[in-house]
Amino acid sequence: MKPPLSRWLIILLAAIAGAAVLEAAVVVGTTVYAKRFETNLLTQPQPLAPSSAKVTTGRKLRVDEVRGNWLRVSDAGTSGWVFAGNVSDVKPVEIKGVDGLPIAASKTTATAAGRPLTQAAEDYATRRNIGNARSDLEWLLQQARTVSDDDVQKFLQEQKKGEFQ
Amino acid sequence: MKTLLLATLALGFVPAASAQFNFGKLSQGLDTLKDVGKVAKGAAKIGPEEEKVIGDSVALEIISRNGGLVHDEEITRRVNLVGRAVARYSARPDAAWRFGVLDSPAINAFSAPDGYVLLTRGLYDLADSDDALAAVLGHEIAHITKRHALSIVERGEFLSGVTNIASKQSGNVQQVQAQLKQFDLGIEKIISTLFEKGFDPQTEYEADREGRSLATTTGYAPDGLKNVLTALEKKGAGPQPIFSTHPPLKERIKRL
Repeated sequence: MKPPLSRWLIILLAAIAGAAVLEAAVVVGTTVYAKRFETNLLTQPQPLAPSSAKVTTGRKLRVDEVRGNWLRVSDAGTSGWVFAGNVSDVKPVEIKGVDGLPIAASKTTATAAGRPLTQAAEDYATRRNIGNARSDLEWLLQQARTVSDDDVQKFLQEQKKGEFQ
Repeated sequence: MKTLLLATLALGFVPAASAQFNFGKLSQGLDTLKDVGKVAKGAAKIGPEEEKVIGDSVALEIISRNGGLVHDEEITRRVNLVGRAVARYSARPDAAWRFGVLDSPAINAFSAPDGYVLLTRGLYDLADSDDALAAVLGHEIAHITKRHALSIVERGEFLSGVTNIASKQSGNVQQVQAQLKQFDLGIEKIISTLFEKGFDPQTEYEADREGRSLATTTGYAPDGLKNVLTALEKKGAGPQPIFSTHPPLKERIKRL
């Protein structure tokens, strides 16, 4: 049975509204920047489409086409489709401290999230006599290790979120 | 509650006795602490390695002051999946995002540098849909990506009196203690903002807007946060404090 016209109208309006949110910020001809450690540019505006190129954090890209939540971008011979949430219209600030490392130094969230407590923080817990909090935090870090980047990707796919909307 | 928090703060930040220090284990941490001092004095940004130390320490304080963590693997996995899904489209998608639930009936959420987001059991129970949870987590994620807590110390005088002390090289116990004391004061400054003063209203409104945008980009309902705040407003004042360090609910709802 075909959905009633009113339902199609609602779907259409919702799609337009969704696209409008993104298009308000990103239009053809503007510049966006890759914000992930590695961002795949895809051959089609679909999350599981083959990759045509990879770009790293801060790569400047020109928007050539906007299709809903997807942008076709290019720069110096590199081009492809990217989900709008994976780029920013503001250049990521590469903050370097005296340690000299950029803020996006970790390759994956899972790796970074599962790191152990820093020695200085362990010492802080000792000085402040908050050993229970330390145990709790170590438990949380252990739990964080069990959620892999693949788990998050699968979650997005199952829930139809992010690129999978 | 605020009085209780103030009392806790007053008691909690009595300088630690030097006898508790484990100097043998301090050498690794001191490199970073010394560097934090240099960074702050030079008005440079706090870098990732310093942010880890500060984030861990602030997270420890948040947990310590809110009844510890809820040790429920299913709940923790849920908040980590929803939180990581939202954070994936933030300005720092590759940061070390970790989400947990504090064992407190109060209604509040906190963030600490380097990707720690902790919400209370009271708020978790209230945010009964993924849309609502994503909205709440999005707000806290925004505080981290905007470096709101770090700006407190970046703007201020974190460790300003103890810069460039070559404690590691000299092995001078007094200098080591001075560095640690200053570090602890820097953490106290952040904690005081989180638990007592709160961020200024504009900072909270910015986090509301950014969090809403993040949740929406991820595919969650754009009115998730507004719905949570409206439900809280309708619920009215109860025995538990509601976002005690945030601007009035009515104003936040109006701006969303």
